Order: sequence, then structure tokens, then C-alpha cells
Amino acid sequence: MRILLAEDDPMLGDGLRAGLRQLGFQVDWVRDGVAAERELASGDYTAAVLDLGLPLKDGLDVLQALRARKITTPVLVLTARDAVPDRIRGLDLGADDYVVKPVDLHELGARLRSLVRRSHGQMQDALRCGAVLLEPAARRVSLNGEAVTLSTREFDLLHVLMLNADRVMSREQLEQQLYSWGYEVDSNAIEVHIHHLRRKLQPDLIQTVRGIGYTVLRT
Amino acid sequence: MKLVRRPLKSLQARLLAPLLGLVTVIWLGAAIMTLVDARDELDDLLDGHLVQAAALLVVQQARAADDDDDGIADAPSLHKYAPQVAFQVFHEGLLVMRSANAGLIPMSTKDHGFATVRLGKGDSWRVFSTRGIESDVQVYVGEQTASRNAILWAILHSVLLPLLFALPLLALGGWWAVRQGLAPLRQLSHALRQRRPQALEPVVLAAMPSEMRPMVESLNSLFERIESMVASERRFTADAAHELRTPIAGIRAQAQVALGAGADEAQRQHALQATLAGCDRATRLVEQLLTLARLEAAPAASTAAAASVDLSAVARRIAADLAPTALARHQTLELEAIAPHAVAGDDMLIGVLVRNLIDNAMRYSPDGARIWIHVATESGQPTLRVEDSGPGMTEQEMARLGERFYRVLGHERPGSGLGWSIVKRIGNLFGAQVQVSHSDRLGGLAVSVRWPA
Repeated sequence: MRILLAEDDPMLGDGLRAGLRQLGFQVDWVRDGVAAERELASGDYTAAVLDLGLPLKDGLDVLQALRARKITTPVLVLTARDAVPDRIRGLDLGADDYVVKPVDLHELGARLRSLVRRSHGQMQDALRCGAVLLEPAARRVSLNGEAVTLSTREFDLLHVLMLNADRVMSREQLEQQLYSWGYEVDSNAIEVHIHHLRRKLQPDLIQTVRGIGYTVLRT
Repeated sequence: MKLVRRPLKSLQARLLAPLLGLVTVIWLGAAIMTLVDARDELDDLLDGHLVQAAALLVVQQARAADDDDDGIADAPSLHKYAPQVAFQVFHEGLLVMRSANAGLIPMSTKDHGFATVRLGKGDSWRVFSTRGIESDVQVYVGEQTASRNAILWAILHSVLLPLLFALPLLALGGWWAVRQGLAPLRQLSHALRQRRPQALEPVVLAAMPSEMRPMVESLNSLFERIESMVASERRFTADAAHELRTPIAGIRAQAQVALGAGADEAQRQHALQATLAGCDRATRLVEQLLTLARLEAAPAASTAAAASVDLSAVARRIAADLAPTALARHQTLELEAIAPHAVAGDDMLIGVLVRNLIDNAMRYSPDGARIWIHVATESGQPTLRVEDSGPGMTEQEMARLGERFYRVLGHERPGSGLGWSIVKRIGNLFGAQVQVSHSDRLGGLAVSVRWPA
């Protein structure tokens, strides 16, 4: 899952990026409101962690502008503004969650997973497609109840596909959801990962829609 | 000074009591004047009557003398006032005529004119005596003064009696009028009572008498000032919350990264270093907040006791303190503060000011930068200048400097934005002017602190 982190404080931003990466998120870090809005507008992110006291453009303004442009990326507001009116305003302006600093990294991860789950209409953390069960929090995949070992990329790819089950995802979409900044993506990287997933799980789990992309069927 | 005052009664009572008192005094005064006037007029009139009566007796006696009728004649009493009026006529020393209530001896010792005498049982009489046409006739006409007093009492009565009825009526009317007049005051107090304790919007009254306008306006301006104070405090709290929570959140995140299962040794080291840096930053922030809080609590009176401080010595001391930090970053501190320059202030506070200025210059200038500290007398004013070769600031940034927690963007080095507030506050305390400008000498920021000459 690719997360945009908008935080102007160097130390906190650095810590959150490192911590979320440890939890298996792909994290891109921006330090001002204008950059946050630009990046979120691209729609490449599964979710965002947004500080409110951002330079150049306040986080709430960013949020408002995004929602006005019908960008529905789940946004978790992480801020020091703890007054109730601030919280209400943040949520009313389109924040999906409102967390006051300081926050536990694991809790932040769980809240992000929950946001992503809900934004994809899932009720439970675990995702199931036929015999395949994927547990995002534990980063565990099992086939017919038996654990299957996947690489980080393979897990993330399967996660994106299962989150968007019954929908066709293009290779570009998958790449954007999978890779944070600074990664050179081989043109056939997605195909290679898909190939591995088919081999490790079921050959017919991921279907190729020629000329468009890939899809996973829920049943 | 201690003022001892009786507690103020209600405005109603304060207005009504003097009003009624005044009416009573004026009424009584008018009554006394009427009475004095009436007495004089009455005296004149009744004296006139006495004279008239005497004249009649004289004429009648002249006629009676022709009749040669000896013996005393007693005139009958014909009116209720008659017993209070008496007369005597003497002829050749003999009483020839008298009223029933008159005695046998002359009523007055005077031959002619008015006299007030006591007769009979000690009653007071007004007596007019005159001679007849012939000198052997003597006529006395008297009237009891009690009758005059009775008339005066009647007059007094008729003047004072209405007052007795008028006063309660007046009190009632006055009470009503005053109450009506004070209605806007009651409305105001009602409006104030109805307000929520936090409400600071201006009081608006539909109809306000001109006398109340200044009071309500002062009240509203007070509300306005309190509101701006509250707003500024609220902003401060929000900013302080942000400034305090962010490093703590950072420390927490970094510590969790260091503890994280997936962390390799390099990541762990990095995270632990960042945790320590975060602690230092939080410490510095807390110190600055405390300094600022102490300064804001410091009454302006403390400046009165300001001692004379050698600015050059302070600059040397602080520069020496900060030199190791500067060296570690290959920054050059140049100090030009040789001659002593005495300024009004407090040694510790001036030290805090100088430290913040040099610290800011170092903090926001890159490694290897030059920082120039200069103490001199410029146009008679002791002046401290701190200039650096750092990135400087735009006009906009300079204008916002000194707002609490305002930080110039784009700095990797975290500052609290409180240093400037502290510098400005200390400057204000000792009447020194703090100015920010562009450094022509080094290309970065130039700050000057100018004490009054």
C-alpha cells in the first residue's frame, strides 16, 4: 500500500516514514501543503497521512481542495490540534480519521489499514478470494489454510489486486500503488511478480485481461 | 489612601431622597415667607382697624359730651370676636365708657400711639391710645394679640396642610418617574446577566440614553480587548500544543522505529540519534517557553530597578559560550566589542537576548558561515549588531518575525520560533529597539538592538 505522508517536521516525518515502512507500507514524504495536494491529486496513493500545520498551505485547505475535486483517497489527519472544534472541522471537511500527536506507530498502521479497507467496502481486515486468504495486519497469506511465503512486493501486489477484486487493474495502476519514489521499476516487474504469485498460489487466481491489465475474482 | 464611604444606596433612593428633601425645604421656606408677610400685613390692617375704632369713639364721645350724660356706659358684645376687642373712654380722668371685657384702669400707659401690654390674666393685648377732640378725653382701643396669632396659625395651616398631602403624592410620582428614567440601566444589567460567561460580543441596547453611551462603549471596548487577549491566548495554546507535541511525536516514532523488528543496525542507530536530537529540541523548547512565560509575567516595574550592564562584556561572554558549537559547524564568530558600553538592563536577561540572537544566526546559517557580532555607540545609542552570511529573509518573513512560533520555512534545523519573541520581549522591557534588515556586510540577516541614548 502506497501512503503519502505530509509532515513538515523533519524528525517526525523521518520517524513516521521509517516506522510505516517497517510495517510494510510504501511511503512518500512531502513537507508542505502544496506538494501534498499535488501528489494526492495524482490519485496514486491508497491513503494519506496529513499534518494540519503545513507550510505554504494548511492541511485543512488541502483536504477541502481535494474533496472539492472529488478525490476520495482516504485521509488520516495527524495533528497537534486537539480541540474538539478542530476535530469536528477536520472530519467535516472530509478527513476519514483524526489522530492527535503523538501516536503509536502500530496504531497508525492499523488505522491506515482500516481506512483502506473501508474505502474498498471491506468489513473485515482479512481478504478472501476462493481458497486464498490474505491478512494485511499480519502480512500473512494462506492457501487452503496453509501459509504461503511471499516476498514484500508479491504480498503488496496480491493485496492491491484482492482489495480491488472483480476490478481490472492496469499495469501502470499497479506500479503506482506499489512503488514509492526512488525505485527504478523494470518494465516487466509486474509480470514477473504475477508469474510468481500464480506459481506459489493458484495458476488461475490472477486473470490477465489482454491489453488492459489483471484482475482477481472474489469467488 | 483609604476612602471610607457609606455604601451607596440605590440610584432610585439617591435621586428621590434629595428631590423630596428639596421640595420640603422650598415649601417650608415659602410657608415662612408667606407667614412673615401675612403677619406684617395683618398687623398693619388690624392696627388700622384699632385706629379707625378709636377715631369712631372720639367722634362719638364728642357728641356724648353734649348730651351731658353722666355714668359709665357698657357697650354690649355683638360678635364672637367681640370679647377679644376692648375699649375705654375716659373724660377728665373718669371712665365714662367701656366695653364689657375692659377693666377700670387705663389699658395703656401711653397717651397716644400703639403699645403691646399684658392685661387681666396676663393676656397679651395690642392697645391704641389717643386723645379726644378735647384734651380731657382719653380713648383706649385694644385687641388681644391671641386673635392675630389665631389668624396666622390658620394661614400657616392652610399653607402646610397641602404639603402633607403633596409629599406622598410627589414621592410616588417621583418614584415612578425615576424608575422610568432608570429603565435603560435595568435593561443593561438584565442584558449583562443573560450573557454566557464566555460571551464577549458587544452589548447592544435598542434605545440607549446619551448618559449611558460612554459606559456601554467602555464596556464594549473592554469586551473587545478581553476577546483579543483570549484569542491570542487560544492561538498561543494551539501553537504551543503543536510545538510541544510534534517533537514528542517524533521522539516516539523514532523510538518505535529503533525498537521495530524489521530495523537493521544502521536504521536503529539513525533512529536513536534522532530520538536524542528530539529530546534536545524538546528541552530547548521547554526552556524557551519557560523563559517567555517568566518574561511575560515580569512586571514592567522591574525595569525601574534595571541596573547598568556592560553590553560588550555580555557579548564576549555569550560568544565564548557559543564558540564551541560554532566551531563544530566550522562557523566563524567575529566579535568586535572592546570598549565597555553601559546599557540599562539586567545582566541575565541581556545575556538571554544576546544568546538568542547569536544562536539564531548560527542555527539558520549553513556550516562554514560567518557571524559578526558588533557592539558600538551609534549616534549616541549603544547598539548591538549580529549579522550573518546565511540565507537571510524576505521582507514578508521579516515582517512576521516575532510572532510567537512563527518559523521561516525551508529550514532543516528545527527552531521553536520562540527566540524572536524572547528577544523582542526583553528589548521592550528595557526600552531597546530590535530591528531586522539585510546584512550588506555578510549578505545574510542583520539584527540590531538599539538602546536609548
